[in-house]
Amino acid sequence: MTKAEFESAVREHQGMVYSIACNYFHNAAIAEEIAQDVFLQLYESHLSVETGTHCVAWLRRSTVHRCIDTLRRSSFRNEIQVDLMPEIPVDVPETDPFLQERLRRLIASLPETPRAVLVLRFGEDMDAEEIGRILQMPVRTVWSHLQRATALIREKASRYLKEKEDEPVRTRSS
Amino acid sequence: MSQFERDLRESLRRHQPPAGFAEQVIARARAREKRAAPMPLRWLAAAALVVLMIGGVVFVREQRRQAEAERNKQQLIVALQITSSKLNRIQGRLSAIQQRIDELRLEERQ
Repeated sequence: MTKAEFESAVREHQGMVYSIACNYFHNAAIAEEIAQDVFLQLYESHLSVETGTHCVAWLRRSTVHRCIDTLRRSSFRNEIQVDLMPEIPVDVPETDPFLQERLRRLIASLPETPRAVLVLRFGEDMDAEEIGRILQMPVRTVWSHLQRATALIREKASRYLKEKEDEPVRTRSS
Repeated sequence: MSQFERDLRESLRRHQPPAGFAEQVIARARAREKRAAPMPLRWLAAAALVVLMIGGVVFVREQRRQAEAERNKQQLIVALQITSSKLNRIQGRLSAIQQRIDELRLEERQ
């Protein structure tokens, strides 16, 4: 990869790399640090980028793995145990900014692998096969992570909405 | 697509990095390259130093070995000289004894 190609790749894909890290950690400072490291790794890898798709795939894979490694190394892990949570299908009513924020926080509190699956699926609009290739896992495992993580987020979000609905009632009663 | 999936997509939408992010990354990459450039020179200097040190050690060892050989040679020469002088002395005595024996035999015949 020449200097010009590298600079072009940074300008073109900075949003993608930064977004994956930002959605993964829900933390702008960590996201910026990870995105910078990923691009520097790209520069030092002397990757021969034959196509733009190749570069995008490399950046996605590196970013996700760096996010997972960073989370594993960090002492702060505010995780929800996905396996212990029941799958409760609840219809979530119309969205609001608070719900969006709540969803982001919930996603950022998932364990490393389901979190990565969710970020790639809904943030990067990737299918299970692509996600499986990036995370080096079978497609069935990707689906399993996706279903359980979605169910968990849905359940937590609905609990939040229910609390919100109850709030005025409690206020009135008190 | 359900409303919930739409919410997830919306909450995981693209974010833009802070202004100047790309320039910062490019500057860091250039700085790393500059730092990395003198590396071969440093390696060369280190390699030269190692070669010099090894060469010095070999040279000193060779000098010591030659000095030791010279000392041994001198000692051998001295030892041979001593042996030679002793042998000469013994040879002289033996000659004197032989001469005396010859004289005594001659006296007996007379």
